[in-house]
Amino acid sequence: MTEMHHIPTVFYIFALVTILYTIYNFRRFFGIFSGKPESKLPKSFLTQLNHLFRYGLLQRKVFSNRFTYAGVMHFFLAWGFFILLFATTVDFLTARGILTKFLPALDTPWFAFINDLGGLMLILGLILAIFRRTSQKPEKLPNSSLSGRGNLLGDMGILIFLLLLAVGGFLSEAARLGADQPQFAAFSWIGYTLSKALSSETWIAIKPVIWWFHAITSLLFIAVFPMTKMFHAFVVFLNIAFTDQGKRGLLRPMHVSDLLSDPDADIENISLGVGNVMDFTWKQLLDSASCTECARCTTLCPAAQTGKPLSPMKIITDIRSALYNTDNGKSNDKLIGKLITETELWSCTTCGACMEICPVLIDHIPTFIDMRRHLVLSEGTPPEMAGESLEKTAQNGNPWGFPKSKRLKWAEDAGLDIPVFAEKKSADVLYWVGCAGSYDPRNQEVSKAMINIFKNAGIDFAVLGTEESCTGDSARRMGEEYIFETMALQNIEIFKKYSFNKIVTQCPHCYHTLTHEYQDFGANLEVVHHSEFLNELINTGKISLENNDEGSVTYHDACYLGRHNQIFDAPRSVIKKSRGRDSIIEMPRNLQNSFCCGAGGGNMWHEINEGDRININRFDEAIQTNAATIATACSFCLIMMDDAMKVQGKEQDVEVLDLAELVNSRLKIQI
Amino acid sequence: MKICVLMKQVPDNDSAIILSNDSSSIKLNDITWCTNESDTYALEEALLMKEAHGGEVVACSFGRESSQQVIKDALAKGADRGLYISEEESDGFDILSTAKIFTQALKDENFDLIFSGLQSNDSGNAQLGLLLAEMLNMSHAALVMGTEVLNDTRIKVKQELEGGWFQWTELDLPASITIQSGLNKPRYASLRGIMMMKKKPIDIFDSSQIDSTGSKNKIFLDKMYIPQKVKETTFIEGTPDEIASKLGDLMINDIKVF
Ligand code: SF4
Ligand code: SF4
Repeated sequence: MTEMHHIPTVFYIFALVTILYTIYNFRRFFGIFSGKPESKLPKSFLTQLNHLFRYGLLQRKVFSNRFTYAGVMHFFLAWGFFILLFATTVDFLTARGILTKFLPALDTPWFAFINDLGGLMLILGLILAIFRRTSQKPEKLPNSSLSGRGNLLGDMGILIFLLLLAVGGFLSEAARLGADQPQFAAFSWIGYTLSKALSSETWIAIKPVIWWFHAITSLLFIAVFPMTKMFHAFVVFLNIAFTDQGKRGLLRPMHVSDLLSDPDADIENISLGVGNVMDFTWKQLLDSASCTECARCTTLCPAAQTGKPLSPMKIITDIRSALYNTDNGKSNDKLIGKLITETELWSCTTCGACMEICPVLIDHIPTFIDMRRHLVLSEGTPPEMAGESLEKTAQNGNPWGFPKSKRLKWAEDAGLDIPVFAEKKSADVLYWVGCAGSYDPRNQEVSKAMINIFKNAGIDFAVLGTEESCTGDSARRMGEEYIFETMALQNIEIFKKYSFNKIVTQCPHCYHTLTHEYQDFGANLEVVHHSEFLNELINTGKISLENNDEGSVTYHDACYLGRHNQIFDAPRSVIKKSRGRDSIIEMPRNLQNSFCCGAGGGNMWHEINEGDRININRFDEAIQTNAATIATACSFCLIMMDDAMKVQGKEQDVEVLDLAELVNSRLKIQI
Repeated sequence: MKICVLMKQVPDNDSAIILSNDSSSIKLNDITWCTNESDTYALEEALLMKEAHGGEVVACSFGRESSQQVIKDALAKGADRGLYISEEESDGFDILSTAKIFTQALKDENFDLIFSGLQSNDSGNAQLGLLLAEMLNMSHAALVMGTEVLNDTRIKVKQELEGGWFQWTELDLPASITIQSGLNKPRYASLRGIMMMKKKPIDIFDSSQIDSTGSKNKIFLDKMYIPQKVKETTFIEGTPDEIASKLGDLMINDIKVF
C-alpha cells in the first residue's frame, strides 16, 4: 500500500465494513469450539514450536517428489505472500508513525528490493497455479472449492483475484515512484522499471484511480479471506500447533468396559463413535477446516486409484461442510448416509498414504474409524462379510472362525515340538504367531520357518498356543472397539501370567496393535517385528546364511510396517544378506510411497464391489520389475500377493515369499 | 403381535467333537457354543415383524446354564424379554419331552406366533415347532421362507417344497412356524444393543418346577460314533474307449448304480 498523505475518510468506512464482514465470515469457524474434548493433544511446547517452523513456515511437507510442480508453485505463492504480508504490515505501521525508529521506510533499499521480490514471486506462483488449473488439470484436483468453504468464484477465482492484487500493488508503486521520484527509487526494481513506461505527469493524473483500485481489491481480499482456499494460510498454523505428530494415526480408545460397567450410562442417548458432526473432537473439526483441497491424499489413495468410491479429501471437506452448516454446533444433522456414504467409509484400507502426504498434518484414519464405530457400535450395520468375521473373532478369538483349540494345529501337523508358555512359564522371547500364522495355510509356512530359525539360532522362546487370541487389529479398524477391547484385555491377562522379555511377531498388524494400542490398557510391551529380529540375528552372527547371490527380489513395503512404523531398512537389509547386496529391485512406489496390498483396515474380510482389486494393481507393479521373488514382511500382504499371483496366472514367473522363508531357505545349518 | 422365538445353543460347526469314553455323549469342554443357525433367522424374522407391526419379541431357550448366552445375544439384537428354562441335562430329553416342557412354560403367555428354526444343528429333530402347535392348539407351517402379516388374526407364509417349488399358505393365528435359513439377513449385535440388553429381563424357570407329567422319554440313545471316513479312489487308465467300457462295467457290477 502506498503512502498517502490524506487517506479519505470513506476508505476508513470501507475498512470498517470489511472487518465486520470478515468477522461475520469467520463465525462458521468458531463451530469447532462446540466439538468434544480432545485427548490427543501434544505435550511439549518446544516440539510444537519446532513443528510450526518446519511444517508451517518452511512447509516441509508441501515439498514432495510426487508433487514437484505443486511444491515449487506453492513455494513462490507462499513466500511471495509472506514477504508481502511482512511489507504491508511494516507499511501500515510506519504510515501511522508507529515504531518508525526500528522499521524500514518504503524506500529503504533492502526493504524496497524484497518488497518487489515478494510481489514477483507471488505473480510467478499465480501464473504457475493458473497454468496448472487451466492446462495441466490434475485429475483429482477439484476445480472449484468443495462444499463447505463457500464458493466465491471458485478456486480459480481467488487466483485471478490475487493476481489483480499483486499487479495493482506494482502499479500503485510505479505511480508513486513516477509521481514522487524518490532518491532510491531504483531499488524498487520492478515498480521502478514500470514507472519509466509513463511520464511523471501521467502518473500523477492516474495515481488516485490506481490507489483506489488497489485499496478496494485489498479490502475485498480481506473480506472474503475466510470464504476462500486462502483461509488455510491461517487455520493450518493453528492445526500444526495442536497436532501431536507422534500420535497421528493412533485411534482414541473408548474404554468400552468402563462404559459397560457404568450403571449411570445414558444408553439411549450415548454417542458411540461419530454419527453427526458435533460428535467429533474440536481437533478433528479443526483438521477439517485446515484442508487445502490440494487433493494429494485422494491422488495417492489406493481405494480412489482403483476406482472405489472413496476420496479422503471429500470426507474431510464433507465434515467441514457439515461443521459450517451447523449453527455453532446446534445442528444434529446426520453426517453418515447423507454427506458421506457407508461404502466410502468401508473402502478405506487405513494404509496411511493420505496422512503421509497431507501437507497440513490432517489425521484422517482415526476420523474415518470414528465414523465406522458409529456404524458398527451404534447402528450395528457392518458390511455383511465384515460382520461375520467380527462375530467369529468374538466367538473363536480369530477372524477366520477356526476353533481356538486348533490354534497350534499347524505345528502338530508338521510334527514340530514347540515350547508352550502354559508349561514353560518363562522364556526370553514370546513368539506371537498371530491368527494368520496359525490358521492361514500360506502363513503357516512362515511360522514354520520362524520356528526353524529360532531353533537354529538357539533362542529361548515359547508360544502361547491356545491361549493366544487375535490382537483385535482388524476388529478395531472396522470400528468394533468392543471386540478389540475384549481381545486386548484377554491377551493382556495372559501376558501377565508368564515372564518374557520381548515379543517377536511376523505380522505388522499385530506389531502395531501390541506396541502402540495395548498401552492404553496398561500393557507396555517390547515388541520386535521379525524383520528387525532376523536382521539382528544375522548381524550378531546368531545365524549364518549361505548367500549364493541368486535371484533378484522386489520388496513390498507393508503399510503397517513402513508408513505406520517407519521400519524400512531392516527388511531390505535381511533381503540383501540372504540374496546378495544388489538383489533388490525397487518398485516405483516404495518406502513411504508404497502402495497398499488392499487387506488393511479390515478389508481382508469383505469386498468393496466397485473398482479394481488393489492387490492386483500392486502385484502388476511388482511383476514389472522382473524380479524372481516378491518379498513381503506382513501376513496380510503375503496372502494378497499370493492370491494376486494366482489370479494373474504368474505362478511360473515369480514366487511370493515372506522374509522368514527367504532367510530359512538360506540357513547354513538346517535342523 | 406377541412373538416367541425358540432358540437353542448348539456346538459351533468347527468345534472339535470328542466323544466321551462310553460313547454316550460328547465331551463338552472342547466345544465352542453358538446359537443354532436357523434360530438366528427365526429371530430376525420376528424382529422384522415387530418393527413393521409392533408388539413384543420373547427369546426362549431350554438347556444348560450357558444357554442363557443365546438369549442374551437375542436381547442384544432387539428381543424384548428372555425366557430361560434351566436344565443341565437337557440333552437327555427326547423331542416329545422337550416339547412338553416348552408347552408348560409357554402356555400362559398366549403368544400370537411361535417361531423356531427349522431344526437344530446338533440333534436335528425338526419337530419341536410342529409338536408345540399340536399341544398349544396353534396352526402350523414348516420350512417357511417368507412371511406376510395379513391382519391381526391371519398370516401368510411361503413354504419351501421339493424340487425348487414354493407354496404360499394362509394360516390363522396363533401359529407355530419353523423357519428355513436364508430368508433374511440376521442383524449384527451392536454395542448399543449389548448395553441395552443388560437392562432387559430374563425370566428363569427351573425345568424341575415345571409340571412335566408324562414327559418320559420314548427315544433312547444307544451309542454315538463319529462316522468312519471311507474313501476309495480307483484310477481307471487306458484309452478313452477302454476307460469308458471299464467305467460302465464298474458302475453296473461293482457300484450297482444301474
Ligand atoms: S488410509 Fe489409505 S485407503 Fe484410507 S483414505 Fe487414506 S489413502 Fe485412502
Ligand atoms: S486432507 Fe490434506 S492432502 Fe488431502 S486435500 Fe486436504 S490438505 Fe490436501
